[in-house]
Amino acid sequence: MSDYLEILERSNEGEYITEENWDLEKVAATARKLVKKHRLEWDRNQVVSDDPSLADAVYQAGYEMAVELGAYSRSTERIIALKQAEIDEGIRNTPQTLVMGEGKDARTLYARNLGDERPPLFFGGPPGNPIPQQIFLPNVVSYVQEPLIDLATCGTLTEVDGHAVRTGHPMEIVATRRELQYMHAALNQVGRPGMGMLGAQSSVSELGNLAATQTRYLRPCDSHVIPLLNELKMDNRNFSRVVNSLDYGMINASLPCVIVGGLGGGPPGSAVVNVASFLVANVTCRADYHLLHPIHVRHVATSTREVLWVISIVGQAFTRNAPSIIVADIYPKSGAGTKELLYETAINAIVNAVTASHLEGCGSADGKLPNCSGLEARLMAEVALASHSMKMTLREANEWALKLLPLYEHIFTKEGGNPGLPFDKVYNISSIQPLDFWQKMYEEVKAELRSMGLTL
Amino acid sequence: MIENKIIEKIAQAILDGEVGVATDTTRIALEAGLDPMQILNDGLMAGADEVGKRFECGEYFLPELLLAGRALKAAMEVINPLLAGKATAAGSWVGGRIVIATVQTDIHDIGKNIVGSMLTAAGYTVTDLGVDVPLKSIVDRAEEVGARVIAVSVLLTTSMPYIKDLIGLLKGRGLREKYIVVVGGASVTEAWAQSIGADGTARNAAEAVKLVRGLLKAI
Repeated sequence: MSDYLEILERSNEGEYITEENWDLEKVAATARKLVKKHRLEWDRNQVVSDDPSLADAVYQAGYEMAVELGAYSRSTERIIALKQAEIDEGIRNTPQTLVMGEGKDARTLYARNLGDERPPLFFGGPPGNPIPQQIFLPNVVSYVQEPLIDLATCGTLTEVDGHAVRTGHPMEIVATRRELQYMHAALNQVGRPGMGMLGAQSSVSELGNLAATQTRYLRPCDSHVIPLLNELKMDNRNFSRVVNSLDYGMINASLPCVIVGGLGGGPPGSAVVNVASFLVANVTCRADYHLLHPIHVRHVATSTREVLWVISIVGQAFTRNAPSIIVADIYPKSGAGTKELLYETAINAIVNAVTASHLEGCGSADGKLPNCSGLEARLMAEVALASHSMKMTLREANEWALKLLPLYEHIFTKEGGNPGLPFDKVYNISSIQPLDFWQKMYEEVKAELRSMGLTL
Repeated sequence: MIENKIIEKIAQAILDGEVGVATDTTRIALEAGLDPMQILNDGLMAGADEVGKRFECGEYFLPELLLAGRALKAAMEVINPLLAGKATAAGSWVGGRIVIATVQTDIHDIGKNIVGSMLTAAGYTVTDLGVDVPLKSIVDRAEEVGARVIAVSVLLTTSMPYIKDLIGLLKGRGLREKYIVVVGGASVTEAWAQSIGADGTARNAAEAVKLVRGLLKAI
């Protein structure tokens, strides 16, 4: 703890800089400089690169950015400078294996390699999707009842007992605890009480986080999110999460949602920022594992070409240079009850798994509606395991991506998006099984994927 | 011809996000006797429009947008005293003030920054209050700067109720009719915006500019 408090102290004493100047003169300018220096380019028809020198160059650029910039404290408007030795120590200390959950339901996450013999693991749940209270429990059950799902996550509660949940308000405590009560109830209901959780999604501020760190809510074998704000920023809210968990002993998942098309510029610069973010998060978030979740500046979704490229190159960059446990999120544009959701899920499952990540999903409908269900998580796991059993290469993963992209890319320009239907309109919430039309759609897409050559 | 070249240079300075070039060239244009409205519409606004188009089609990214906003803001400070109260060709209300903020407890700022830059590019005077801004501060600052529009951003669903509270605060202070309140953010839908009594929402930054322009014209 004491070495972490020293990092925290730097946020009070570091060099002062306005946030605008941090964004433009530090992050944006450094990204631009490093992209040029390392001659980083992307090709929209090669969303999975098979050029190892490109992955290495992206890593090197990200490493240089982490050493040069460090992090920024938004609370104090000061730079938290990090020494190169601290970045290096963070890499050395990165866990290579990590047990989540307990008893027979425990799973061991591991730092994956390209072509790893071991299959990826799967977090099932719609991370952060707003879910009405009356369908929250069956929604969680729809994921954790899936045999292929190893670990659990969930949406957020926006109302409890008819009262709106407000961040930083007593209702945040109520919502976070209620969410975790539902999570445990769901795990008990499906006979997997020891399943590890990435939880407290309803906790945005330190209030919810503090409220959740008791063994009847989040156990030490569970994990919570420590966001790194856009880009390379911490604040006292997130520092509080770290000091809370360091004392309690819980697992930290860093979450830098790098915006592709944001301060890093295009996909190459954004990949550099993502690499730097993970390296900085090793130190400032005390990350035990990283959530790889770049988002598109206009479309949000992880299934756009630009974001797929960033996911694939960052995964390769780390497995080749600084093996770490990386869990790549799937946030499709489309919602439940649409074929496009299943195509988007399939492409992300292939790309994420082949490029050395574990998987989490799905935050269907951009994670902003309750239009999500366990069925797409089942497909996520099935497709990822198929790519694993087929020993799919990087080149083959790219060929798959190019086959799947035309099946759904139209939704990015569709008026009103492609939100699909809420959970209770695609599942029978008593039996917690997909309604016939949704089950049929899933089977049709699976058949289509089989006919395209996937061993499902 | 010389006039055209100066105007082109102003537009290019906005495209390049060059603060020094934008302000220097604007001063040179004024000293050369060019009409401030021509400088604004054919130089600054033309450059800003092009920046917006390039951002929307994916050719420009956030840094270019923010740098262009910075250059435009600096150049506007040079010509604003000569323009107060005049309408631009694009229909914006030059001197029309907007306060923009991410509502209290929410710390997401990228969407707000993009919208703020695009509104600046459209000729509005934007006061950016930052993120996690207490409701009282939003209203106080709107009063202080003489804003006509309050634009609030929210990403977190659990911060959304605070926007309803903001409208309640305006009503409580007897100020609701004085302001146009627009809301935006990934989780905001038109139905929700209507339900809380906001004046409008938009799906993206370009539409946000159209929305504000339309609402201001209607009053």
